[in-house]
Amino acid sequence: MSFADSPLAAFLIGTAFGFALERAGLGDARKLAGQFYLKDFTVLKVMFSAIVTAMLGAFWLGRVGLIDLAAIHVPETFLAPQAVGGLIFGVGFVVSGLCPGTSCVAAASGRLDGLAAMLGLLAGVLITGLAFPLLEDFYRSTDRGVFTLPEMLGLPYGVVVTLVVAMALAAFRLAETLERRS
Amino acid sequence: MKASTLGAGALLLSVAAPFAGSPYRAPQHLDVDGLVAQIERGEDHVTALELAGWIRARKPGLRVIDVRTPEEFAAYSIPTAENIPLDRLAPTAFRENETIVLYSEGGAHAGQAWVLLKALGRDNVRFIAGGLADWHYEVMAPVLAPDASAKDRKAFEAASELSRYFGGEPGLGPAQEPRASDTATRPRVATLRRRGC
Repeated sequence: MSFADSPLAAFLIGTAFGFALERAGLGDARKLAGQFYLKDFTVLKVMFSAIVTAMLGAFWLGRVGLIDLAAIHVPETFLAPQAVGGLIFGVGFVVSGLCPGTSCVAAASGRLDGLAAMLGLLAGVLITGLAFPLLEDFYRSTDRGVFTLPEMLGLPYGVVVTLVVAMALAAFRLAETLERRS
Repeated sequence: MKASTLGAGALLLSVAAPFAGSPYRAPQHLDVDGLVAQIERGEDHVTALELAGWIRARKPGLRVIDVRTPEEFAAYSIPTAENIPLDRLAPTAFRENETIVLYSEGGAHAGQAWVLLKALGRDNVRFIAGGLADWHYEVMAPVLAPDASAKDRKAFEAASELSRYFGGEPGLGPAQEPRASDTATRPRVATLRRRGC
């Protein structure tokens, strides 16, 4: 087994992810819920920064040949089941004020609501697993295959990079303005 | 570092991106000679009997892939197999240390899937040359011809043992056609006829 395949690699990446979330203050359900009431844009800023960092990193590391971009696994798109999944995820997010990653972070820093959200998450995984034979047809429906934004938009990769970064910077500016107002 | 500095850095990198060209590596040409050599050495396939041995021995990292449609897979499949139809093969993630064995109804689709996975850079891929028909005649219902040599007899003994492990019925005499009673339990195999590769 190579290092990239080993549980140790997953553990290290997970720890780094949790550390970054905690440092960004995302272990706090109030902060996360603030996003939905447009009072606190930390979630948007953290997540969009992460997307922009990863995208620029992947693009430029690929361009200089340090990584093989084609080897990065791109998950398949299943339109309807992913829309429904996103809706369930969103409802859970608002109700608990936490997402899967941040619930672990909240639990690790001793918050009981984080522990409750984590247990709910595991229960949901278990129930979905048990009910999978009933869900399977829907789970595999509206298959759109594997595609990336450049392929979908028919634009060169570099142009999409510019557009996404421009969108992120505009969103950051707007978020700051809204935060100052509230 | 100030947020505005980071933002300016991101902007700079993103504005330069459209002029940088494709971030993907130049497409690798398929190593046709290498593939031909593997085919000539017989490293492209396994026999159904070998696969049966691997499954029974719980060979580590073995993944048996059925490339037929989900309906065909639901009707009958080789034990431990998972269903990944051809159109799903490319996006499927395989690990480095896995041995992939492909099979289809006849053998053509599995052979094509072998080329696809090779083109995607997979190393340890094999397919069953005669497909499910091979599985039926070699594993589920192996037969011993009346004029078999001692060596054939020995091979048949080994195959019979494997066959019983998988619930097969080894027999004597001319090759058995699947019996009528099999039709209910094994509809797909029951309609199989050996039809070449």
